[in-house]
Amino acid sequence: MSTSLESTKHVKFLKRHLLMLPSSQQSHDVNRIAIIFYSIVGLSALGVDCSREYASSIPYIYQHYVKLQIPGYEEVFSGFVGSLATNVSNTSCISLPNTLFALLTLRIMKCDEFFQKTVDRESLGNFIRKCQYPDGSFASVLDMNKPTPSPVDSTDLRFCYIAAAILRLLGCETKEDFEEFIDVDRVIDYMMTKKCDFGGFGDYGETHAGYTSCALCAFQLLHGLDKLDSEFKERTVDWLLHRQVSNSGTVLLQEGKNPYYDPEENGGFQGRENKFADTCYAFWCLNSLKILDENEFNNVCRAGLAQDYLLTKTQNNLIGGFSKNDEDDPDLYHTCLGIAVLQLMNGTFDGIFCIPKQFAP
Amino acid sequence: MEGYEDVSPLPLDTGFKDELCQIMYTDEYRMVVGTARALMERREYSERAKELTGRVIDLAPAYYTAWNYRFDILMHLARGNVELLNQELEWIDEVTLNNPKNYQIWSYKEAVLKNHPSPSFKRELPILQLMLDEDTKNYHVWSFRKWCVLFFGDFSHELGYTESLLERDVYNNSAWTHRMFVLKNTSPSHDHVLEEIEYVKGKIELVPQNISVWTYLRGLYENFLNANYDDEIIQFTSTFTHGVEEEDETDVNVEIESSCALEFIAHVYALRGGAMTRKAINAYKGLATKYDPIRKNLWELKISRVTKS
Repeated sequence: MSTSLESTKHVKFLKRHLLMLPSSQQSHDVNRIAIIFYSIVGLSALGVDCSREYASSIPYIYQHYVKLQIPGYEEVFSGFVGSLATNVSNTSCISLPNTLFALLTLRIMKCDEFFQKTVDRESLGNFIRKCQYPDGSFASVLDMNKPTPSPVDSTDLRFCYIAAAILRLLGCETKEDFEEFIDVDRVIDYMMTKKCDFGGFGDYGETHAGYTSCALCAFQLLHGLDKLDSEFKERTVDWLLHRQVSNSGTVLLQEGKNPYYDPEENGGFQGRENKFADTCYAFWCLNSLKILDENEFNNVCRAGLAQDYLLTKTQNNLIGGFSKNDEDDPDLYHTCLGIAVLQLMNGTFDGIFCIPKQFAP
Repeated sequence: MEGYEDVSPLPLDTGFKDELCQIMYTDEYRMVVGTARALMERREYSERAKELTGRVIDLAPAYYTAWNYRFDILMHLARGNVELLNQELEWIDEVTLNNPKNYQIWSYKEAVLKNHPSPSFKRELPILQLMLDEDTKNYHVWSFRKWCVLFFGDFSHELGYTESLLERDVYNNSAWTHRMFVLKNTSPSHDHVLEEIEYVKGKIELVPQNISVWTYLRGLYENFLNANYDDEIIQFTSTFTHGVEEEDETDVNVEIESSCALEFIAHVYALRGGAMTRKAINAYKGLATKYDPIRKNLWELKISRVTKS
């Protein structure tokens, strides 16, 4: 068992994902930009200079930036497609998540030129505008034949965050800047409907750490945190701190009774009540906590239990990478977020954009 | 490909130098995805195009444009044809069973139901049951269930259903929050709320160290009883704390049955204020030093807040 970060092995693990992938990965083809993003974030957080190492692939990433018109409509949209192999020329295949992932990757790659010259702010902003519903929420893709949100896509807090983050990367700072493209008050009203009784955010009243992080990041980006009253914030901090699994005191009484309790997970974070700890929820919980209460965040970091859990239980010190828990094989997503949360606790990572601090706006 | 001989599949290879994450596609993938994209490009709205999107989704369930296209085809073909919409619902169920973690399915199904002239909750219940039996805390399935309950305006199955799940696993937080969702949307009578409190107390007696159930109890008081915690509930709670909130100094030799109960009672005493504040502080002290030490800083923060007010 290792108690330090196995950087060399993680770098190898991450680099493998950028090479040729076996056909077992073809179901992820459509979100290839996400694979690139998770790998590049992990690598850069471990100190790899991706702008040098992957410089020759920058034109390839640029290719995913697509400007398009929907047949029969004048207006122009732009954004990133998840993969060139699943793109269709006269059809809108751009999506909000792929657009954010690509933009962040380009920031890490130090492609200032893209942000200064290549990107068409107007048409990209228009894409985001047209993804918004009158209630303030967002779909992540457009309809095939009309400039309206896709009728079959979900609308949830992830896309509120993603829309806000993309606009921030396009230079929006003040509320007025954001208002040029989206209805900020309505996004905030929509997010307010996702508040849960005992803190945090989720669908229909069940708080979820991932949605909580998305919502808080979006509130922060849109300058809306002061819309949350102090009691709700306190409850949210409470809820977040309670997600840390413990093996001491009375909580230990759950052992052998609660099928989702494992004292071996001491220090780890769960995403909801009475669930097992999971590497990625350390990120979602601690990122949320940092936004709301820097002091409590620092206390958790200083205690060191979360770090211990990640380094000794979910880090794979044979082949590198992090897994979801102490049983599964390591995977790219949990590797990225495992490294991310450790660096967040070290103070070198920007949780709002999920990239190393030095590349964040 | 049989039945699509007149279509030339669009190529998948980009021919780009320094491509990242290049994938070694299977021939099937190349053929199916390539052909479907060609049909999409020409906006073919046909039975065979719909069939092909099904194969694409089998191979790549996250292919959002394929879902868009399939819905578009369906809307063109269906035009009031209930039979076709019913077939679609059956197809979705099949995909759902094969991809329990895919979330695109649920919003797709909502779109189909919204466009169905005679949608039925009864039709959805078995698949919901099956999915939740398989994975009792699947967030997307629960969200879809709640969407259905609101869409159909039918809450009649829900309390019984959560009871059966809580029978199976009293720690199931999704079942508890679902129950609260139902109550909040059905304006229960005062008697009903009191019955619910009795139900919860039974579950607490079964397993006192269970955060979900104590949160639910607090929810009942906050949502329906103006947070008016009566002496009876305090008395009930203190049977699990063995009265440690009465002691100014935490006795390290006293074990309690539930840190959640101690937190609950601390909250209630903090609300009462005045002379009761001391008991709240005692309870938080106990949590900080012995009963839930991992959250020591939080409990100390609460002590400082209670002391100030």
